[in-house]
Amino acid sequence: MGSTSTKIKLRTSDQKVFEVEKAVAVHVIHVHSVSGDILSKILDYCKKHVNSAAGKEDISPEELYEWDANFVKVDQNTLFDLILAANCLKIESLLDLTCQTEIRTTFNIKNDYTIEAEEAVRRENKWAFDMLGV
Amino acid sequence: MGQSPPVVLGRENSLCDPFTFLSSSSAFISGEGFRDEIAVEIVDYTAELPDECLAFVFQFLGPGDRNRCSLVCKRWFRVDGWSRHRLSLNAQSEIVSSLPSLFTRFDSVTKLALRCSRKSISLTDDALLTISIRCRNLTRLKLRGCREITDEGMSTFAKNSKKLRKLSCGSCMFGAKALNAVLDHCANLEELSVKRLRGIHDGAEPIGPGAAASSLKMICLKELVNGQSFAPLVLGSKNLKTVKIIHCLGDWDSVLQLIGNRNRNYKENLNCDINYGSSDSSRSPLMEIHLERLQVSDIGLSAISKCTKIENLHIVKTPECSNYGLVCVAENCKLLRKLHIDGWRTNRIGDEGLIAVAKHCSNLQELVLIGVNATHVSLSAIACNCSKLERLALCGSGTIGDTEIACIATKCMALKKLCIKGCPISDIAIEALGSGCPNLVKIKVRKCRGVSSDAGEWLREQRGSMLINMDACDTDCGFEASVSDIGVHETGEEVGQVTAVGASTSSNVEFELH
Repeated sequence: MGSTSTKIKLRTSDQKVFEVEKAVAVHVIHVHSVSGDILSKILDYCKKHVNSAAGKEDISPEELYEWDANFVKVDQNTLFDLILAANCLKIESLLDLTCQTEIRTTFNIKNDYTIEAEEAVRRENKWAFDMLGV
Repeated sequence: MGQSPPVVLGRENSLCDPFTFLSSSSAFISGEGFRDEIAVEIVDYTAELPDECLAFVFQFLGPGDRNRCSLVCKRWFRVDGWSRHRLSLNAQSEIVSSLPSLFTRFDSVTKLALRCSRKSISLTDDALLTISIRCRNLTRLKLRGCREITDEGMSTFAKNSKKLRKLSCGSCMFGAKALNAVLDHCANLEELSVKRLRGIHDGAEPIGPGAAASSLKMICLKELVNGQSFAPLVLGSKNLKTVKIIHCLGDWDSVLQLIGNRNRNYKENLNCDINYGSSDSSRSPLMEIHLERLQVSDIGLSAISKCTKIENLHIVKTPECSNYGLVCVAENCKLLRKLHIDGWRTNRIGDEGLIAVAKHCSNLQELVLIGVNATHVSLSAIACNCSKLERLALCGSGTIGDTEIACIATKCMALKKLCIKGCPISDIAIEALGSGCPNLVKIKVRKCRGVSSDAGEWLREQRGSMLINMDACDTDCGFEASVSDIGVHETGEEVGQVTAVGASTSSNVEFELH
């Protein structure tokens, strides 16, 4: 897992930032399979999206979209790790992004959605949520 | 999974020409030096897959994954849309503007759930009407927390939903009028489940079978104030197989008496004008009855014993029931296959009743005893006489010890699954099981302080093919805590099963034993 002296920053829902030792953070989050590299990438992602949503960063939806597209330009193994971590940490938007990328990559499918169309579907999908059985 | 994606030299439209497809894929797989000559095109590997096959694959995915698939590309969006037959919607009032688009996209929905959290305002009658018009083939509807829907709204919905077979409503505000409307218009209704319906209060009109008199097979009533108003429905449904009454207020002995006399012409028993339709008494017998946390006594049990064809009986947390009632049931209901008793540690049901079960119910396949003080006397009788007993669970009983388990081990020849929870057994019991119950494939031991982790290891060595699930039990097991309150099973333990977090009903044990 790396050296125990490596610190991780955790931002809580009330915007407090904690710098904790990796070992501590792992214990608290119960993350078994997320390495430091992946967690750090994920924190980047979360930071970017939180900042853009809060207006702290001046970034248009198109630019954010581009940023996301670049974010997932990684090798298959890393992508796979990101998926597992996003699933574990329940970061829905990252899970969506990484899964779609993985599928498109694996099957060589072209993304023929425009940004607006994709957003519309995402919004609609939020109404059809994940519950146990009908 | 470990291959890196092919180098993309430019975004070009995919060619469906098979030659290009094949040469691209061979360059990808073989890694030969084709890259110099062919600009590797983006060829969708799933393009050759017929839509129906893609839809078939989607069938194996849950809604979250299907949603993700719908965002891969427009074709996947389309295929997912027409192939989604089950849909669960967040039924907040704000959804109304998205409904037309949602049901254009999902145009083949047959099973729909509308769930609204307590903190939100739910969709209204108008929205429900829209849904009923767009979903003409709805067979199942589940409503949870849709507090804005009224009797009129349900009535209109029912008129548009002739194909409805299952309705489950919980925490809604409509009442008897709504349900009677559904029963009048949905002549194919087979299952009705009603929980915490605020409109069913004292003085509510009775609920009768209406047009669904022949189709209704299952009725479940849960947490109702005036559940007795459903009596005409239970009595008038000619082909009713299953009745479940859970945690409903008021006395139920009299309703059970009516149920017991169901096969006679009982217009004279009830002072009301409900017409049960034909007076022919050729009714399908009841097969399954669940009584849980009800005010019911041995009078009620004796009444039930007249349902001689009963195969599945749950008597859970009904403290007024005693051995007398159980004996009555056993003597008359000889076809019993599944019996669940949660005595709630009141010590009113014990060996005496169980011996009667042993004597008369030779078809017994599944027995669950929670908070029942059974000893080797009755367990021995059951083990010997119920030669088909395959599934047994013993929980929260101070009388189940090593002797009892030894008894089961030596005599229960057909036993396949065994669960022991919160009982004062020790490693000796595990040793007995090591050499007994030749057909045992699954055993679960939980919260039995006297059993060490070594015993589990030992058992694994003895019975390699058996699925063994034993907790380490060095945590505080809280033996005194009522086992039946926490529920008999816990989450995520069965291999390959997804179980819901345990509610405290013993029906969870049946789920687990399967």
